[in-house]
Amino acid sequence: MKKPRVCVLRTDGINCDEEMFYAFEKAGAESQMVHVNQLRSKEVQLADYQILALPGGFSYGDDVHSGKILAVELTSFLKEQLSEFVDSGKLMLGICNGFQVLVRTGLLPDRNQGNIEATLTVNDSGHFECRWIRLLVEPSHCVFTRGMEGSLIDIQVAHGEGKFYSDPSVIEKIEHGGQVVFRYAGADGKPTALYPANPNGSLNFIAGICDSTGRIMGMMPHPERYVEKTQHPNWRRMPEDTVPHGLAIFKNAVEYARQM
Amino acid sequence: MMIQEVRVITKAGIPDSKGEEILYEISHALGINTVQKVRTARVFRFEGIGASDAALLAERLLAESVFQDFSVNSPVINDATIVLEVAYKPGVMNPEAASIVKSAADLGVAGLLAADSSWEYGFYGENITGADIERITSSLLVNATVEYVVREKPKTLIIQGKPGRTEVIPVRQMSDTELIELSRDKLFLNLEEMQVIKDYFRRIGRDPTDCEIETIAQTWSEHCGHKTFKARLIVDGKEKTPLLKRLKNATEESNHPLVLSAFVDNSGVMEFYDGQAICGKVETHNSPSAIEPYGGAMTGSGGVFRDIVGTGRGAKTLASTDMFCFARPDTPDEDIPAGCLHPHYLLRRVVAGVRDYGNRMGIPTNNGSVHFHRDFRAKPTVIVGAYGILPAELCRKGRPRAGDLVIALGGRTGRDGIHGATFSSGEMTDRTIDVNSSAVQIGHPIEEKRTFDAILVARDEGLIRAITDCGAGGFASAVGEMGSEVGARIALDRAPLKYPGLSPWEIMESESQERMVLAVDPEHAGRLMEICRGYNVEATVLGEFTGDKCFSATYEGQVVMNLEMEFLHNGLPQRVMNAAWRPACFAEPEAVPAADWEDLYCRVMGHLNVCSKEPIVRLYDHGVQGTSALPPFSGINGDGPNDAAIMAPILGKPYGMVISHGLNPVLNMIDPYHGSLWAAAEAVSNAIASGVNPRDLMLMDNFIWPFPDEELLGALDLAVDACVDFVRGTGMPFISGKDSLSSTYRGKDGTVIKIPPILCISAFGRVPDVSRTVSADFKKTGTKIVLAGYRNTAEMAGSVYYDLLGHIGNNLPKLSPTALMHVFEAVYGAINSGKLLACHDISEGGVAAALAEMCFGGDMGAQVIIPEGELAENFLFNETAGCFLAEIPADSNPSDIFGDIPCQVIGKTTDRKVIAAEQSGKTLFETRLDRLRAAWRQPMKEVFRQ
Repeated sequence: MKKPRVCVLRTDGINCDEEMFYAFEKAGAESQMVHVNQLRSKEVQLADYQILALPGGFSYGDDVHSGKILAVELTSFLKEQLSEFVDSGKLMLGICNGFQVLVRTGLLPDRNQGNIEATLTVNDSGHFECRWIRLLVEPSHCVFTRGMEGSLIDIQVAHGEGKFYSDPSVIEKIEHGGQVVFRYAGADGKPTALYPANPNGSLNFIAGICDSTGRIMGMMPHPERYVEKTQHPNWRRMPEDTVPHGLAIFKNAVEYARQM
Repeated sequence: MMIQEVRVITKAGIPDSKGEEILYEISHALGINTVQKVRTARVFRFEGIGASDAALLAERLLAESVFQDFSVNSPVINDATIVLEVAYKPGVMNPEAASIVKSAADLGVAGLLAADSSWEYGFYGENITGADIERITSSLLVNATVEYVVREKPKTLIIQGKPGRTEVIPVRQMSDTELIELSRDKLFLNLEEMQVIKDYFRRIGRDPTDCEIETIAQTWSEHCGHKTFKARLIVDGKEKTPLLKRLKNATEESNHPLVLSAFVDNSGVMEFYDGQAICGKVETHNSPSAIEPYGGAMTGSGGVFRDIVGTGRGAKTLASTDMFCFARPDTPDEDIPAGCLHPHYLLRRVVAGVRDYGNRMGIPTNNGSVHFHRDFRAKPTVIVGAYGILPAELCRKGRPRAGDLVIALGGRTGRDGIHGATFSSGEMTDRTIDVNSSAVQIGHPIEEKRTFDAILVARDEGLIRAITDCGAGGFASAVGEMGSEVGARIALDRAPLKYPGLSPWEIMESESQERMVLAVDPEHAGRLMEICRGYNVEATVLGEFTGDKCFSATYEGQVVMNLEMEFLHNGLPQRVMNAAWRPACFAEPEAVPAADWEDLYCRVMGHLNVCSKEPIVRLYDHGVQGTSALPPFSGINGDGPNDAAIMAPILGKPYGMVISHGLNPVLNMIDPYHGSLWAAAEAVSNAIASGVNPRDLMLMDNFIWPFPDEELLGALDLAVDACVDFVRGTGMPFISGKDSLSSTYRGKDGTVIKIPPILCISAFGRVPDVSRTVSADFKKTGTKIVLAGYRNTAEMAGSVYYDLLGHIGNNLPKLSPTALMHVFEAVYGAINSGKLLACHDISEGGVAAALAEMCFGGDMGAQVIIPEGELAENFLFNETAGCFLAEIPADSNPSDIFGDIPCQVIGKTTDRKVIAAEQSGKTLFETRLDRLRAAWRQPMKEVFRQ
């Protein structure tokens, strides 16, 4: 069977690219590192891939706003390519800085390039934070979380600007449209606003969303950092046959892309 | 055209977290209660465009209407009592400016010549006084070294300047007084060295240029030349082998099969698995961090990362570590010496610098420590380390050939960092901040990240003959060292500059960060340039390696430097130095039985050198790259500290790299020999406790010493002897090291403060399979707790317990390296056999602290029985390194697991969340885990507002 091709997008300051690359490879895809300059110069065509992955990091230093400079670059030079990519039924995944980029291009919440409807802003705590937390997987259209709905997953966050924020009308649309994919959960498994289980104070405890097709997903926590058992801080306390919680997200994507 | 100003502010009703953070500090760190609210705004300035383009940038780039408002050319904070703006001084690089210029171009805005950004603060409160604002400004908002309060709108954002002419320095005619005056505050050479320079130029019949004399001074600086470590040493009248030679000899004698490169490259390299090698380097960055902690710590991290990429033919950076020593964060203002910054500010800003550099580069910061001692109030100790991986076949330093090109890669050259190498070799005085402020700068991690990305591609294509970083000493050091055997000629006017106006000598010596120098075969230059363009990295051919064994430089066709490499690198006279250690005498406290055990236990856990550093660790991204296999904290609530970091650097493979370290701020003062053995034992024990084979470990040394007078040099001599004895006793070699011998402060009023002598030992190594390693958190209730290792509990000097009694003491732990190796082997064997559920080494706070930390991680209690005849305080709080607490199954027997090393069951784990101790059937204490945990978390939680 042919492996789906993943474009792992890099630019100045992207730094979670190798683990993203590896997570997709482990899930059965063929990953390729592509610098945004290669797309701008047309040396590489986005159309040759089935999945576009925007990794975490500090693209262009997160200057002005996190992910902003890259978002402006993408909407200035690759707007049509990105629209075609989505319209042809392909997948986009943005993690951490990648989520910030997707929101700032307008691709999230719902494919409205050039218009920013939601934002990811400074954590309520006022500082960057790296810790393991729990997510509740919500029922949604999202193709990345098929079969995971209702489960709780362990995952690491590492960000300073992860507070999901928008107008009440946009939040309502996202909620009613089944676009909330993940919420921060407490020890009881219920969504929580309490720090540090909710590390940033996101509205409605939102940790990740998808567009209305379910094929574009963005999330602040890092599933690509938990595709091997020993990446969990407490793997020594866990049963031998524990399956790393982040892997299913990549497998779902690869499975979907394979049937394209 | 006028400067356009855009101001952006968070909408009313949406939290302004930066403002809240500042408000918290105003009340908590400064104790000022007149400020009710702080609002913050961004200010962006543009030169070369009109107001309509500025508005377009505001809408499309600078402000997000979802949560922000903006104004063009008008104020945005209108109702505050006082508004003030803080910006970088002109000439200090603002990394954001380049991004703004790029984005403006992407948006089609033409004509933009320059951009800048800054912060505006609005303070609310009717009773705010001018004095309040003055304190808030100077203590929290502005570091006068790099920032200023903007009083009027700048007329231009473009920095102009004309380069000064190359001067000839008439050293041949100078008297000794004049030579000393020339050296002072600038060259930091002593009279003998200045005379050698004078004699050399008399011999060749001309005077040196400023460029030449600066190049000599930096090559001969203590920082680069390690004059003390290479000196002929006379100890108590008898000559001993120079310090560096002693360490190198010990490594050679150990003949360790895994050493690939020791002491010859930017980092030490050992064999890993599958044809890969791993490398490590640890550096100090005390002087810059003392005067500009954020920039200093950033450039410290950036510099040590460059040491990794500059190893062999280029390595990938895997990890970042940080070890700090400060005065107490609650030190009263009046105790801070003139010209020094407050430790509360220093601690927070140094952490922020390490955080921002590592996080932005995507290098996990996963091992470190913070120590506190009153005498660091004059100068902190800031130690940063980095580790990397590279193919073993590329692990040796490349040698340039005549005809190879000298290519500079990465950031541009500015006036920042001038005199860093010589400055860090000098003592701190109350003049330091004024005279040497140009020696610090703000780092640009994104520049370094893209440069590394490009270098690793070039390395894999075989384009790099040799590589080194532009560290202290800039091009002078990088090109001078690289070309030391063949010679090199560079054209200084080719170097890309941040702004015009640099004199040739400034271009040569500038320590602007994020620059690397490569030796490249001309045949490969085209491809290298192509790779660099693809990664937005500037690459410039500066000149070539010549074959004439001279280091020469031109500027606009004129020769401004022509030095023989032989004189530059071998002309420095070997110093002859006298050393004599006089034993210190600190009284032992009288044994007073503890009156309130619970209170004592809480005070030990809340001692600054024991307390949880989790609030710092959470600020660092320690999970990036997905390599973590043993993180800094684990356990049920993620708050149980581990001893070492273990990473699996090749995703999908079981191979592990371990990183650990040992440092004690007190013991070297008591006895530099045994204090140093303790540091080495502690570094190794941290790795062993995690399950690493002692035969798979390498060591690195960092000596941070006050300016070595006879007595301190005697102490250094003993510390080096301890290192050598440790190598001989354990077989573990040192493969990299560094000394920084300037921890002395001299005030105008005659105050002399010698910072405690510090030896930081770092250990790194390999593990064949990370799944055979353990963490420190207790796993099950009802299991046995075992104490293993040699210790004499009467050896309490330098302990936290003694510190709480107000004493230092003389009787410190005395370790035997050969006995230690026996313990290391036994503990490693026990973990490798899978019989230990948890293991933690004993350090500050003793058995009591280790036990509590294991309980925190497992979120369970423990019941301990103190043996008859032991003094309970000593049993619980003795800090002998090389001892371990281990958790073993209830049905197992410690001597079956540990063999013939001393080991005893001291208690068991319990499901009651209480730590209880008894002796002779009598309960000493039963303390709730929550209480201990709260005491342990409190100090750093307060400083870092978490």
